[in-house]
Amino acid sequence: MIGFIILAIVSLVGAFGVIIARQPVHSALFLVLNILSLAVFYILLTAEFLAAAQVIVYAGAIMVLFLFVVTLLTAGKDDREPKETLQDQRFWAGVLAVLMGGGLAVLAVKFPSRSIPLSLPQNFGNLHGMGAILWGPDFIYLAGVALMLLTAAVGVLVLNKPRPASKPKARWEEGES
Amino acid sequence: MIPLNDVVGLAAVIFAVGAVGVLVRKNPLVMFMAAEMMWNAAALVFVAYARSFHAMTGQVMAFIIIGTAAAEVGIGLAIIVSVYHHRHRLDIDEVSQLKG
Repeated sequence: MIGFIILAIVSLVGAFGVIIARQPVHSALFLVLNILSLAVFYILLTAEFLAAAQVIVYAGAIMVLFLFVVTLLTAGKDDREPKETLQDQRFWAGVLAVLMGGGLAVLAVKFPSRSIPLSLPQNFGNLHGMGAILWGPDFIYLAGVALMLLTAAVGVLVLNKPRPASKPKARWEEGES
Repeated sequence: MIPLNDVVGLAAVIFAVGAVGVLVRKNPLVMFMAAEMMWNAAALVFVAYARSFHAMTGQVMAFIIIGTAAAEVGIGLAIIVSVYHHRHRLDIDEVSQLKG
């Protein structure tokens, strides 16, 4: 239990750091802290494969992408938060947060779900188990994720396609066509 | 074994913090990171219930969440960079009209 409390505090520090830090690069580093603490949670919940995937995909690929874009876009710029134009937006966001987070947390802790008293099945959560289920009965999800990633890659290429420099047309040319 | 309900409660709190980050911050990059945090909280709930019910389908769901988050980050950062090239400001209100 004491380990859980320490881990929870670490992940909450990461979570609050993301939304409080003034510079986006600090937010990214706090997000890395949050993600790594969640990876430790996955190990404790016997999901070793997902812990590894979390560290590789999130803390590795996604955060490197984030840091790259942050350094590309915010280097040497004015990093102050832009002025809020909606009235009372922050206040109502706080109210919503307390209601939603507090409510959900109280509900989750108050009404415990029944857990199964049997021992864990073999290969639960490790590479063998995940491979057996992802390439066996749940192959459709693996194929779906693969298609989605391919689509995303193609979409990024299309989004960042260098636009052909449009030649300034003379007026009579437009009229002829 | 760590207590399941407390893990789910922690995930709820992280989800709420992420939601507040999306609502309060105005830098699109930070909003995006807060949204990533919400994805992570959902995945943590899936893994916790997979452990509780001894069913690995929850972990498959968490795997899908990680894959989706990777695709989403790629597309989202491409959009942010593309908007920045047009407007030269990192402010979400620049696109509040949803047109160029």
